[in-house]
Amino acid sequence: MQMYPEQIVKTLIAEIFQSRRLVVGIFVVVNAAMLIVGLLFPKGFSASTSILIDDRNIVQPLMQGAAVPTEVTDRGRNAREVIFGRKIMDQILERGGWTVNRPTAEQQERIIEDIKKRAAITTVGRNIIKIEYKDDDAERAFRTTQKMAELFMQESIAAKAAESSAAFDFIDKQTQDYHDKLVRTEEQLRELRSANLDARAGSEAEVTARMNDLQRRIESTSQELREAEIRGMALERQVTGEVEVNAAATREGQYRTRIGELQSRLDTLRLSYHDTHPDIVQLKNQIQDLTDGIDAERGRREQTKRGGRLEADQSTLNNPIYQQLRRELSQNQLNVEALKARIADSQQRLQQELNRGKLLHTGDARLAELTRDYQVNRDIYQDLLRRRESARVSMNLDRDRQGFTFKIQEPATLPLYPSGLRFWHFVAGGILLGLLIPVGLLYARLQFDPRIRIGNAISSRHKVPIAAVVPHLWTPRELKGLRVELAMLMFAMVATVALSAAVTVLRMTRVI
Amino acid sequence: MSKIEKALSRARAEHGNFLVPVPNTGTARTPVTGTAMVADRTGHPETIARMAVSESRLLSPGDLSQRGIIHHQYVGDPAVQVFRELRTKIVQQSQGRNGVILVTGVNHNSGSSFVAQNLGAAFAFDTGKTALVIDCNLKNPSMHRLLANAAVPGLTDYLENPDFDIAHIIHPVGIARYRVIPAGKRSEIPAEYFTSAKMRRLVDSVRLRYTERFIVLDGPPMSDIADIRILSELSDYVLIVVRYGRATNTQIENSVNAISDKKLLGIVFNDEPRIPRIH
Repeated sequence: MQMYPEQIVKTLIAEIFQSRRLVVGIFVVVNAAMLIVGLLFPKGFSASTSILIDDRNIVQPLMQGAAVPTEVTDRGRNAREVIFGRKIMDQILERGGWTVNRPTAEQQERIIEDIKKRAAITTVGRNIIKIEYKDDDAERAFRTTQKMAELFMQESIAAKAAESSAAFDFIDKQTQDYHDKLVRTEEQLRELRSANLDARAGSEAEVTARMNDLQRRIESTSQELREAEIRGMALERQVTGEVEVNAAATREGQYRTRIGELQSRLDTLRLSYHDTHPDIVQLKNQIQDLTDGIDAERGRREQTKRGGRLEADQSTLNNPIYQQLRRELSQNQLNVEALKARIADSQQRLQQELNRGKLLHTGDARLAELTRDYQVNRDIYQDLLRRRESARVSMNLDRDRQGFTFKIQEPATLPLYPSGLRFWHFVAGGILLGLLIPVGLLYARLQFDPRIRIGNAISSRHKVPIAAVVPHLWTPRELKGLRVELAMLMFAMVATVALSAAVTVLRMTRVI
Repeated sequence: MSKIEKALSRARAEHGNFLVPVPNTGTARTPVTGTAMVADRTGHPETIARMAVSESRLLSPGDLSQRGIIHHQYVGDPAVQVFRELRTKIVQQSQGRNGVILVTGVNHNSGSSFVAQNLGAAFAFDTGKTALVIDCNLKNPSMHRLLANAAVPGLTDYLENPDFDIAHIIHPVGIARYRVIPAGKRSEIPAEYFTSAKMRRLVDSVRLRYTERFIVLDGPPMSDIADIRILSELSDYVLIVVRYGRATNTQIENSVNAISDKKLLGIVFNDEPRIPRIH
């Protein structure tokens, strides 16, 4: 049912009046209950201290870049981890007097859990850690809080010093390692250089040039050799030809000349004589002999040719051209031999150069590798050296407590009044709840009860006119009863409030 | 002697302690002008005058207040104003004639009897009108509480006995121009009575006899739907009483649907909480 605010208020007031006994009853019961709870609720004393963590002191700007301040991202969590650690907790147990009764390990664990529950460690702003501890004993709350702060500071400083010291040790070790590596590489380089003296800058180019030169020389010498050989062959042929010419020109020529002469004489005789003429016959025989002589010569020459060796006869040997040719041939022979020797020498040297070149390449690769290693190691080593110095400064800062200081911003004080829910809170809450609960319940009933409480709602919903809205008719007897009832209810409420007030006063004056 | 006077005298003879003394004036329909208290406004001054004679002992406003009945002296009371307005509304609707008004509740304890009684009282405020409240809620009657003697004959007695006179069941209650017919003896099957022709005759006769008389039927709740249907047929107007915080929309809807739109005068939203001024 949709109701307007003023309708709700009006109906709610009507409902409160109708259910006045219930309202007052709930008020009294709630107040009484809260009074009892308030009396039974343990008093809690809370002590707190705040610690300022100053990591931006005077040294930092001076050491900018040289020292690395330890970064703490979540100081609150860090502090919780540190304080709730067993190491600090054991000391707190002792300081707080929990160990007087010699609790067992299990009991200690429980006490520690209790302490953890009652302690709150929060970060205020960026650099302030607030430690808050609640206890039912004011003195113990104070002592525990104080001890927590103190131990936390000690532990943090020690932890930080240890941390930077460990960092320094690590970097130092690394530096040492790299130093060793560097020395080793240098040694290797030195060995390589001494092993390959050739292996110096430009060696390779030199070898290549030399090889090229040798190559060129071999090629030109080969060319010369080939020429000399061709020349030798030509000379050989010429020498052989000269012998043949000589042989032909000498005997066969003489025979043919003689035959020619005889033939002409014969031809002349034949003009005058028959073939049977003795002169002619004689001539013919002479010619035949000469022809045989030519054939014999030819046969001999052929035989010589087949035998490969041309017999130089005396006439040939005496031939000046032949002699010159022979001389040139022998000269050429010598030349060929010399050239061959030169080529062999050049080839041998080329081979040497090649081997040398190979050696040079291997050495170069190794040298490059070692040089690279050396450079890398040197860079890292130099970097590490710088870092080690930074770490040393950081360590010194922490050792001298310069990098990260803790200051008690607000010291713990002995709590004089209990904290948390105080007795008067319960009393005030009781009065408030005593009023709100019944009103709330009635409001809920108003919202959820389907029964009609507003006359206008009927006419609008059922389209039936409201003939009359009859208010309650109070009879004199009812009024009298109401008067008495209201007086009693009023008395009950006033008495409840008065009782609560009285108990509060007694509680404040520490009577109860 | 009129029937009413006869009834009254018999009643007195039977019970002796009857609240209202029996008048001894003239015969029926004989005007008694000498003791007339009301101006001749309705056209039936003689009837009203006769009633006035029989009401020599009226209840004080305090007594009425104690019984939960409004009195015109407490004109400042919001309840009095409301009933007067309701009466005016009905009078306007009836256009000068009298009428039969059935008052029924959506459910038990709706306060329909309270509304019926006070509606009757509001009619009786007007010196030119009279009111007769008939208790038709036979299962849970309430009108007899207004009477000094609760055992007087009522509606069921009249309906059961063929020779019973109407005058025997109409009783004054100590309010001027106000009469009631109590339920009478309890009956097991009330629906039987309302269906009888005698019931219709009763309603017709009390209505037709005195034109200034408004008849209020204090009916059973709507849960007795059979009775309500019969009674609504006998009446001119129907008022449905819904008590604050007692009825749901469904109940109201069912009740409204059961009554013919022509007769349904409206809904009386009863017993709205009111914080009284206490000194």
